[in-house]
Amino acid sequence: MKKIFAMLLALAMVFALVACSGGDNKAAEDKPIKIGVLVADVSGEEALGFRAYYENYIAKNYNVTFTYTEQLADAAAEKSAIEKFAAQGYDAILSLSSADRATQIETAAANKLYYAVVSGMLDDAQFEQYKSNEYFVGQVGPSMDTEFEAGYAMGKHFADQGVKTVGIYGAFIPNPMHVYRTAGVLAGLGCTYGGASDKDGIAGQLFGDQGVDMSKVACTDVQVIGYFQGFGDTTFDELFAIVGQTPDAFLSVGMATTFFVDALNGAKIPYADIDSFTTGNAANMKDGTLVYLAGKYSSSIGPIFVATLNAVKGNPIRDENGNAISLSQNYLVATDSATFDSIFNGDKGDNPIFNKEALDKVIGKVSYSDFAALVASK
Amino acid sequence: MESNQIVKRYKTRQRIIDVLPFFALVLLFGLFCAVVQAKGYRLDMYLRIIFNEGIVLAVVATGAVFIYSLGSFDISLGASTLFSATLGVMTYNATQSLPLMILVIFGVAIGCSLLSSVLASVFHIPVFVTTVAMMSVLSAIAAQIITTNGGALGGISIPSEVVAPLDNMGFKIAVLAAFWLICFFVFNYTKIGRREKFLGGNPVCAKLSGIKINTYAIIAFVMAGIGVGLGAFLTLVYTPSVTASTASSIGMNIVVAIVFGGMPISGGPRSRIYSALVGGFSYILLNNILKLIVDSGVGYGVSQIVAAVCFLAVVYVTGINYRSKQLPR
Amino acid sequence: MKTSRKIIGTLAIPCIVAAILLILCAIGGKSMIANRTGFNYFVQYTAIVMITTMALSVNLNSGRFDFSLGSMAVLSSVLAAKVTQQLLHGGTGSAIAMLVFGILFGAILGLASGALYVSLKIPPIITSLGVTLIYEGVTFTVTSGKYVMDEVRNPSMTAFAGNWYFPAILIVVVLALMIYLFDHTRFGYDYKALQSGQKVAVNTGIREVPNALLCYVICGALMGLVGFLNAARSSNINGGALNFGSIGIMFTAFLPMFIGGYIGRFSNDKLGYFLAAVCMSMLNSTFAAFSNEISASMQSIINAVLLVVFLIYLNNEGLLKKLFKPIKA
Repeated sequence: MKKIFAMLLALAMVFALVACSGGDNKAAEDKPIKIGVLVADVSGEEALGFRAYYENYIAKNYNVTFTYTEQLADAAAEKSAIEKFAAQGYDAILSLSSADRATQIETAAANKLYYAVVSGMLDDAQFEQYKSNEYFVGQVGPSMDTEFEAGYAMGKHFADQGVKTVGIYGAFIPNPMHVYRTAGVLAGLGCTYGGASDKDGIAGQLFGDQGVDMSKVACTDVQVIGYFQGFGDTTFDELFAIVGQTPDAFLSVGMATTFFVDALNGAKIPYADIDSFTTGNAANMKDGTLVYLAGKYSSSIGPIFVATLNAVKGNPIRDENGNAISLSQNYLVATDSATFDSIFNGDKGDNPIFNKEALDKVIGKVSYSDFAALVASK
Repeated sequence: MESNQIVKRYKTRQRIIDVLPFFALVLLFGLFCAVVQAKGYRLDMYLRIIFNEGIVLAVVATGAVFIYSLGSFDISLGASTLFSATLGVMTYNATQSLPLMILVIFGVAIGCSLLSSVLASVFHIPVFVTTVAMMSVLSAIAAQIITTNGGALGGISIPSEVVAPLDNMGFKIAVLAAFWLICFFVFNYTKIGRREKFLGGNPVCAKLSGIKINTYAIIAFVMAGIGVGLGAFLTLVYTPSVTASTASSIGMNIVVAIVFGGMPISGGPRSRIYSALVGGFSYILLNNILKLIVDSGVGYGVSQIVAAVCFLAVVYVTGINYRSKQLPR
Repeated sequence: MKTSRKIIGTLAIPCIVAAILLILCAIGGKSMIANRTGFNYFVQYTAIVMITTMALSVNLNSGRFDFSLGSMAVLSSVLAAKVTQQLLHGGTGSAIAMLVFGILFGAILGLASGALYVSLKIPPIITSLGVTLIYEGVTFTVTSGKYVMDEVRNPSMTAFAGNWYFPAILIVVVLALMIYLFDHTRFGYDYKALQSGQKVAVNTGIREVPNALLCYVICGALMGLVGFLNAARSSNINGGALNFGSIGIMFTAFLPMFIGGYIGRFSNDKLGYFLAAVCMSMLNSTFAAFSNEISASMQSIINAVLLVVFLIYLNNEGLLKKLFKPIKA
């Protein structure tokens, strides 16, 4: 009885799957534009800042609704999320998730959804492969070159100040952006790694080593007294092994302002991080020992939204060869409380850096160079 | 007379309990279709999505029923899926051979399962603890391989066109049906299934009857390994890439799926091969219904709470005929 | 057993582990514990491992598997941090208040979990899966999935985290209380009777339900303490874990639980858990000292291999002794 029931049920479901194929419920043109946002991080300050900008500012000023996914764990979750947005009649996908961007683009295109990378960038080969895809709007964010430059600027800042000893936190290497930032920090401090001093030479070895192998670090003026990465049971032991040697500075390529604030403030060790401009970091810079912050600001994701909106409305922005947008966006740097506050307060609530007035300039039919000029203007 | 009534009542209740998981699946399926239609979304697309979300879980869990029927518990199946897929991708990238990739995926999956069973049966280590250790080792090695070879991409992949022709409903339904029918046959119509249920229900008695525990434990793990291999292959068919978090949620969801499908966690004679399929798709449907109803954001926490309450309610009802004076362990 | 044998049996493993790790550190030119701060963290980690192991063992030794330990620790610490912040705004006594609230909320969550188990009468492993999902969902809803940071960053918490004697006091108090509760009270005698023969114990009139409930309350209170210690150590609590993201915490307690159980044969199992926690803490500090040589993946693999090797020894002790017994002429 049960077995027959099971068979019938299976047949019914297969029938339903086959029978239901076809049909089209495309949204009418006058309806608000619906954009799905893929996210891999739902907790971080930067992610929350981005979300607040889209949901509280952009949605209020444009006829757009944003729907955020839950925390996407892997490529299958990303693909499934895009397909669900397609089934719900969405118009575009903005991606803050990077498990498998190639599959994201292919899935979005297969479902006729415009797709853009909101933060970060595809690797060069991938971009070459997809740049001519009509549904791929493009990417505006820090490239791996920019990540390296951000790390380099941080390292150089402290080297120029004459620090003699530093500790380094590599965050979540082998996450590519952390690898390139760490490579930049080493280069900026004037160190070589396994004999290499260039971006690709250092980063390539860091990928292979899964972290910084201290025996490969050779510096001239600065001594790297300790390095660690990740977050687990041994993290604080490793941190305090460095803190105990009282380095002149502690350089982190991410998350130190979340994990180590108390420990570093308590030990009065000046520290630097690549993070974002948030309330917590404003306090860390004012009252704590945070002395250098390279960060994104929440409204930095404004231009890519406009490019996506234009594409949905039939005004895609393409370069002179008809390819998707690819523009790198630099980090802003604060080394004192006043600079920090001017960036942070200038990007708040109803008056973000990329406000409606700025964004409206590139709405409609605009050239690639006009759009690039807007991105570069802030 | 009174005892006859009790027996009759027991049997009636048991019949209801046996069909309850199917009823729950049908109900959830109907509810899901209704919600999707009411929201004005594309039902055909949503059904395909649900099928794709559920198939890997259903396949791996169906293989795992053989382990669970013994009263054992394997938490490493998600990590095995990741590890097999990882080595499969590495093999394809080295040889450009799809058959070899498939061979490696199944070989590795069965090998990992066999290693767990050997450690458990030959060295007498508790199965659960063995699988905890296996989970750590397999996911650590896979992460090492993926991150070393993935470089700036953060993952490894095969060209999508290699598996794209297989990413269709017909192929997947055929694979699921074939695997399920084989498992159904082995579990219900061969001595393997019967003896495994016997071992799970009363291991002492089974041993005294001359059943070799180790042999059947190894067979159970091999069947689970085939399920893992198939799951890893279907994972690559859906998305031709592997990251360190691929299949990370499968390990625990298998337990939920099997129990949701009406099978007792203690295994034994009440083990059912259909539990994984029915429970797996029920759980996926329930989660999707809740995500459609409850708003995103904080709603994800709320929908998980509701899903957990539904899960406990189903388990409570399906186990209602098996309450003892003592607390269950 | 002779007293000398008891002492040797109790201290053998910690001494051997210490000797091996110190030799390794000496060869590598490292210090296992470099300074006072390192010692603070060594003691904190010992307390966390010991208390988690005790919490795991309370139910596991009675055949009740509990996946919800991690979710209890996280939720109780989140609630304790929020309530403490409301009352004291990060002022004097915040750490002690959060400690007390953590234990209190942990005990309440444990009681709720236990009440669900005894009232539904479904296997504890299944109940714990549901409870884990519920507690994770509540945590996510309360925190909106964010890190809890401001509530646990104040001078009082910093002072607690910066002094080894606070966790040392907790170790002594918990150890003494657990030995008293389980070895010198009626509850403890009943617990042991139920542990070794559930049916017989119930038939002799031992009330299983109150005993099980108290076990869950103790387990919850201990995890509340662990949640507090983790918050003090990390100065943040991750509120974003969903879909069994919190269960990892219990896996770290398996190896010390088996080592502790082995040491317990010569003295007392709770003392064994403490000494096993010391061993794990030494291993952890050694990993930290060699962090540039041993990656996190490698640490996971080493821990898993140690677990398997120890269990192979533990479960084949008789056979090994027979194999290595000198042949008499």
